[in-house]
Amino acid sequence: MGMVYRIYLEGERIYGCANCKTHLATIHSMMSRAFNGQHGRAYLFETVVNIIEGEPIDREMTTGKHTVRDISCCKCRTVLGWKYDRAFEPLQQYKEGKYILERNLLVDVQ
Amino acid sequence: MRIPESDQESAHSVSLDSAPQAGPSSLGLDGPGPSNGHTNGNGFTLPSTNGFTNGAGVVGNGVQKHGKSVAKVSLLGTALYADGSYVDREEFVRLVIQSLRDVGYIESAATLEAESGYTMEAPEVSQFRQYILEASWSDAEDALTRLGVTDSDGLWVCYHLCIGSVPYVFRYQEAKFFIGQQKYLELLEAGKTTLALQVLRNELAPLNVAQDQLHFLSGLMMCSDPTDLRQRAEWDGASGTSRRELLTVLQRYVPASIMIPQRRFSTLLQQAQSHQRQQCVYHNSPLDSKAFSLYEDHQCDKDVFPGTTTAILDVHVNEVWNIEWSHDGSYLASASKDKTAIIWRIDDPSIRDYTAKFVLRDHSFPVGCLAWSLDDSILLTGADNEIRMWNTKTGVCTLVLDSQHGHQETVAALSWLPDGSGFISGGLDRRIILWDAEGNFKDSWGETAIRVTDLAITPDLTRVVAVGIHYLYDLATKQTELSFPLEGELSSVKISRDSRYALVNRTQNEIYLYDLHSGRLARKFAGQRQGKHVIRSCFGGIDGNFVVSGSEDGNVYVWQCDTGILLETLPGHGEGSVNSVAWNPTNERMFATCSDDHTIRIWEAPLRESGSRVTNRSSSNGKGKTRQQSNGDGVDFDSAFGAWVDG
Repeated sequence: MGMVYRIYLEGERIYGCANCKTHLATIHSMMSRAFNGQHGRAYLFETVVNIIEGEPIDREMTTGKHTVRDISCCKCRTVLGWKYDRAFEPLQQYKEGKYILERNLLVDVQ
Repeated sequence: MRIPESDQESAHSVSLDSAPQAGPSSLGLDGPGPSNGHTNGNGFTLPSTNGFTNGAGVVGNGVQKHGKSVAKVSLLGTALYADGSYVDREEFVRLVIQSLRDVGYIESAATLEAESGYTMEAPEVSQFRQYILEASWSDAEDALTRLGVTDSDGLWVCYHLCIGSVPYVFRYQEAKFFIGQQKYLELLEAGKTTLALQVLRNELAPLNVAQDQLHFLSGLMMCSDPTDLRQRAEWDGASGTSRRELLTVLQRYVPASIMIPQRRFSTLLQQAQSHQRQQCVYHNSPLDSKAFSLYEDHQCDKDVFPGTTTAILDVHVNEVWNIEWSHDGSYLASASKDKTAIIWRIDDPSIRDYTAKFVLRDHSFPVGCLAWSLDDSILLTGADNEIRMWNTKTGVCTLVLDSQHGHQETVAALSWLPDGSGFISGGLDRRIILWDAEGNFKDSWGETAIRVTDLAITPDLTRVVAVGIHYLYDLATKQTELSFPLEGELSSVKISRDSRYALVNRTQNEIYLYDLHSGRLARKFAGQRQGKHVIRSCFGGIDGNFVVSGSEDGNVYVWQCDTGILLETLPGHGEGSVNSVAWNPTNERMFATCSDDHTIRIWEAPLRESGSRVTNRSSSNGKGKTRQQSNGDGVDFDSAFGAWVDG
């Protein structure tokens, strides 16, 4: 609701949507590079901007069962990764509220 | 009121026959004669002479039919009225005499001088004025001396008191310098260079004031011709107003009580008008005799404030983000999240026939900004990083602007240059781009310090004011002139008609009014809600007396611009934000607002006549409708819809 401009990030390295270059996250909010998505390598981020979150679904992953939402670019609607709502395994709960972006769907923008 | 009897015993009676000229009568400055007892309680007297029936038509022929002399009326005290606040009678009467003379009631003025015993000014003053206007420079200088040193009529004392700590000799020399300067310029203008040089050397230089000005004046010797001289000296010549202007300057050196400033009464009345206008919070009427009568205090009727929704334009199928009136005030353009822009026609505001004339639907992203060309033949729309040009007569997109040179990120603002030679666009890619009127790329500001979210050009074409994320700043010839770092995001900027003020919306519920001349914050407006959305505001009403803003709480807010007083909180729009507001440029009693509720509302004063014409027009896409509503509260919308809309 209401008119908003997309958020523009400041920082040394900014990751954007490979399709439309919309700013998504900075390297400062990156927590881990050791993830895998549907398209290969994926990064875990503390915060991601300019995304639309989908409906929550339960998904079995290599590290156990999670409730996740797909996230897509607010401009071009490309699905870029997902957000963890809930991790069923106690050891995986550090991921809750964090985001995965697939490396192959990102570009460096400035 | 009482009519005084003729008091022939007064020593100061004067015959009207002797004072028919425009100049002041020859009454001396000596005080009033002994009281003849003809004072009355309120000091309000009416002369018994019938000489006042002579209109201005007989002024100048000097013929008096009755030949009756006017007796001086002696009054007690010095006040105009014995009770109430003090107004000096002599000052008042002298101003009345001045006003009478100014409009040509010469005889009345003379009569009043005779009857009151007050003269508008001493003969020396009018003589002095005459000398200046007739270019009798040496006489004028002598007269100035007399005004300064003649002690018999008390002028010297007044003069001395007035100038305070500044040595009067110095002031006198300054005054002489101004007279000499005029003399010098007139000689130069007449081509009498040698004489002019003499004035410079023998009269101006020895005064030893204003050395810089002396150098400047001597430089004018080099002027090729009189036109060049007048231009460089910023002086309009002997036949222009320069001598009158000189008088105004010299006025500073003579106490106002001796030489009354020109049109003093009128100045005071204008001040009263201006005061009344400031007190009038709902002020929205032009400065004519109807609205401003001397007979009573001015007050605009609150009921004619356009606080009532008179039409709802409901064709957009998503949030309406921006609106812009055409310059002729008969079209409104709207920009929507539904990726279209609409041009609405308002053929005749009295019929309130608002038609969606064209739906402009080629954009692939929501439309965020709009700009009408000065002749209203072209509409620009911005959606994401794309700018399109539309023919407003046909509704056809005539051009998609060059994306190579264009913006890489969202275009946030479009604004035509006030001279119509082109337009500029500002974007979130930190760029401000200049385009010609055909839409060709001309120039780019390169990277600015801000991501531009809105910009505006001052009507005098001297400044571009751009606001954006992180900073608000001004641009003049691409140089940052002023920069105001502000917290939060700035979403809207508008410029006042006089190019002086910038109205800026920012997140965290604040609207700032910046004085661009002083670079200071002039006022804040508070009440509206703005947290995360782009909310726009505008000036409105006659002289931009109102400030209007949208709000995230769905209301429209109206303030008095001069004071920042919140005048109106207008409900009516549905859920979501009121995103933008726009005052009709040709109708000071109409504005429009647009909202997340997909609609645009037109606001006017309440309809006077019941059952005014109501229309229901389909848009060109066939599913829209224009609704009419007569009640302004908006609460009762559906019933109003049913009651007022015909099939």
